Amino acid sequence: MTTIATDPPRNGPSPLERSYARLGVLLIAPTIVVFSAVIVYPLLAAIYLSVFSIYTPTLEGEFVGADNYVKMLTGGVFWSSLWTTLIWTVGTLSLQIIFGVGLALLLHQNIWFRSLARSLVLFPYFLSTVVAVLVWRWLFNDLYGALNHGMMQAGIIDMPLDWLGSMPNAMIGVILVGAWKYFPFVVIAVLARLQTIPENLYEAARIDGAGPVARFIDVTLPQLKSVLTVIILLRAIWDFKEFDLIFLLTGGGPVTSTQTLSLLVYQEAFGLNRMGQAAAYSVGMMLVMLVFMILYIRRTGKES
Amino acid sequence: MTTIKGLNAGLKRRSVLTGMAAASAAAMIPRRLYAQEQITLRWWSPQSSPEQLAAYRTQIANFEALHTNITVAFERTSDEGYAPQLAAAFASGDVPNVVTHLPSFAVSSYWSNGLVEPFNDVIDMIGADKFYDGVNRIYEIDAGQYAGTSIGNSAANMIWLRKDLMQEAGIDSNPRTWDELLSAMGKLQGGGVYGAALPYGRNSMTSLIFAGVIHQAGGMVFSPELEVAIDSQETRDALEFYRAMREYCPPGATNYSWGDSLTAFVSGASATGIYTGRVLTNVLNQNPGIADHITCDVYPTKSVDIEPWTFNDFPSVFIPKAADNMEATKQFAAFLFDPEGYIEQLHAAPGHVLPVLSSIAEDPTYLANPVIEKYRAEVDLMSTAAANGFNLGWESPEHKPNTNAGEVINSGVIAEMVQRVILNDENVDEVLSDTSRRIEEIAQG
Amino acid sequence: MTSKMLRPIILNVVTWTLVLMISFPLFWMIVTSLKPQTELFRIPPTWLPETVTFEHYWRLLTETPFLRFFRNSVVLATSTTVFVVALGTLGAYSLVRFRFRGRETMAMLVLFTYLLPSVVLIIPLYLMMVWLGISNTLFSLILAHTTFALPYALWLLRSFMEGIPDDLENAALVDGASRLGAFKDVILPQLLPGIISTALFTFILSWNEYLYALVLVNSESVAPLTTGVMTMLISAFNIEWSLLMAASVMMSVPLIIVFAFLQSYLTSGFGAGGVKG
Repeated sequence: MTTIATDPPRNGPSPLERSYARLGVLLIAPTIVVFSAVIVYPLLAAIYLSVFSIYTPTLEGEFVGADNYVKMLTGGVFWSSLWTTLIWTVGTLSLQIIFGVGLALLLHQNIWFRSLARSLVLFPYFLSTVVAVLVWRWLFNDLYGALNHGMMQAGIIDMPLDWLGSMPNAMIGVILVGAWKYFPFVVIAVLARLQTIPENLYEAARIDGAGPVARFIDVTLPQLKSVLTVIILLRAIWDFKEFDLIFLLTGGGPVTSTQTLSLLVYQEAFGLNRMGQAAAYSVGMMLVMLVFMILYIRRTGKES
Repeated sequence: MTTIKGLNAGLKRRSVLTGMAAASAAAMIPRRLYAQEQITLRWWSPQSSPEQLAAYRTQIANFEALHTNITVAFERTSDEGYAPQLAAAFASGDVPNVVTHLPSFAVSSYWSNGLVEPFNDVIDMIGADKFYDGVNRIYEIDAGQYAGTSIGNSAANMIWLRKDLMQEAGIDSNPRTWDELLSAMGKLQGGGVYGAALPYGRNSMTSLIFAGVIHQAGGMVFSPELEVAIDSQETRDALEFYRAMREYCPPGATNYSWGDSLTAFVSGASATGIYTGRVLTNVLNQNPGIADHITCDVYPTKSVDIEPWTFNDFPSVFIPKAADNMEATKQFAAFLFDPEGYIEQLHAAPGHVLPVLSSIAEDPTYLANPVIEKYRAEVDLMSTAAANGFNLGWESPEHKPNTNAGEVINSGVIAEMVQRVILNDENVDEVLSDTSRRIEEIAQG
Repeated sequence: MTSKMLRPIILNVVTWTLVLMISFPLFWMIVTSLKPQTELFRIPPTWLPETVTFEHYWRLLTETPFLRFFRNSVVLATSTTVFVVALGTLGAYSLVRFRFRGRETMAMLVLFTYLLPSVVLIIPLYLMMVWLGISNTLFSLILAHTTFALPYALWLLRSFMEGIPDDLENAALVDGASRLGAFKDVILPQLLPGIISTALFTFILSWNEYLYALVLVNSESVAPLTTGVMTMLISAFNIEWSLLMAASVMMSVPLIIVFAFLQSYLTSGFGAGGVKG
């Protein structure tokens, strides 16, 4: 993407450039070594497992070739879980980005007790998922939950709502809790980036007569673009794979309306003890994410 | 808190016992001249509340005092975590010596894959006659061989009742049949109190409780020969009953699981509850106001000629086949039932974990616990009900042990069936045949 | 004139309302942890405790291995963060400022291998730890956490680094500094907010991670807070709510305090707006 200015371009890289290139490789080598050793092996193992029918507790089984994959493509459960996963991912990601950028902008201003406000906003992200879910289930509870109680006190509703037990409430509830839990990740990254946007750019825009919205669109957004691109990619992958939150909140119910691919994989692997099939689903999941990722990177790469 | 240091302190207190053990071994001096190898036994359990941990430490300390060359390391696992952890342990051969508190169908599943050491020796060491009748049958998966035994019993589907509310509503005896229960519901519900708090969520509680309801209708999930028998008139009756109960449950019951159901009764929001003896301690801690008015009974069945069916998940103790130091391991497993430590373990969750040894159930030290004293009648009832209890892995005395029960429960098929018929109002025949087919698939592996 | 005075007030009110709404569960957790067990499930619920009690905190600290779990978590999360930030910063620098063959592919590869759900990775990973002889140790967890935090850190730091104009570095190089010298003196200060935020998110990731800790580590002396506390207080049939709330408060509040102090580093973008044009 960027290079340093050295001698004028010649045929082939200069000796300096070559030694810099070697340094570059050296710098990234530890990273590659570490994760090759510890991720690539399990990854290959998972792909290997997917062509067997494995009984999880013993990890023994017989070779079945493409059977698991055939089952995956023809049984409806993979596709319906995929659809559910997409709804969940898009829903929670949009909220995470909108609230994340919004709050980062607000917290960039000179607010009273700004440090405290920032820390409190990050609290959902600090909290362990297991505890967060338990607390939210408690708040959502129809008998003694604060949410229903507060809404009834404020007169918004007069009978408690069933937040997690029926659709579409369940999906909405899950998306909301997911957004609440993870949007601070966006806040942290965007806030850090906002700090480094030069003040003079805003000055220039103001002198040109641009109002706050125009300033946001013309100055802030372009500067945020590279960070946002990466954040959206990372959070999308993460949300797509999310397991703990949904599993603990609804278990995939009611019926299977909040069963995402991760829940499906877990159930196959440890509920039904079919590790081979679970591995096949995971490979399917990975391929889906890969397709989206490639499309996304192509698109954002083209624009830059 | 108690760390390794604490255990050594315990050792000092027991030095008298050690002295005695040494004295009795004096006759075997030649053996003692060889330095005895220091061995470590690993004990896994998903039940590790602070009180239970304290009980375990006592048991470990007592055992170590008698066997100075053995250290026992307790390692915690969890209800969601034990499946992947044991899978990894079995695959790598790095297995613990003793595993306790897993549901019985987990053990039968591992047994059928040759991963478990027969438990017969340990049962003999404990004393086979001390057990309640039949409590070991569920572990006799291959004739004559026991895969393990229960470390405690739990009667999980007792109906809990509020005597004060029943009195006010003019109900003078505990409901015995479904009709009586439904009419009681009508009278009890009102004034901010719900009739019941049954689970309708997509979770294991719904599956387990509903399997019980099927039996209470006179039906079964598998036939004694382990053919799928869920598509039956009895299941339809059970679904009708469960549907009828729904209007007496809070709206959030559609997502209820163990914790929600328990709290609904304990907090006083519902007039009846369905749970283990855990209710007793929770009521005393969280809502002592109703402590004098609660009682329990076996859950009503469809009619008086259908026997009550108590669900007992038979928390187990078993020994993985690949464990090292098998001799010491078996001694330790037997020692878990040694009265002093066993009673303390039971007292950590009084009424919830019930003794499997009838000798303990009568033991005055056991009975001297305040909770058990106060609710003696209820605890006795639960003890016998649980000892005669069943679960999906063993549905009746005629049934063969079912090693696929765990997978059937974990797949959520039964809970889904309940939700589809009752919440979504789908056609019963279609759902039942669908469910039948899916259970068959799972049972075939 | 008045609208100019009103604007900051509206801004503050809106922001603080949102902040309080977002952190309401924290308030609820603290309040619940101070209630006696008899008040836990009061219907209707009480907003403030009728009686304030610290017994749950006391029990947690004296009757459970909470402090040991806390220490383990601190060691785990700090080590992971140090490794990840070190490797990630170097790696990001390499990807952004150097040209060599396969650069883009490597960046993609790092992320690509991370698309598999952890559920399937976990057993092979555990088997590998056993084979390496480090199973059931804190180090195996540090290794596992490093490997799954690293791809994210790399990409994040890369994007931060791209936001730093090259002129700064070129200026230093022209002045005769070595590549690494320029890196240390010029880029690093600029990158500080990025590094701090990456460090923060890595720390939290490691602090809250549950599944790997569950499978890779068993013994109490090595267990971190997540599995230690959770498995102790949450089981199928029962949840120790009061202790759990006290534990959760104790697990979150230190992070909040630390972050409040780190604020100044996050905001002091050295040379923010330093280079014209």
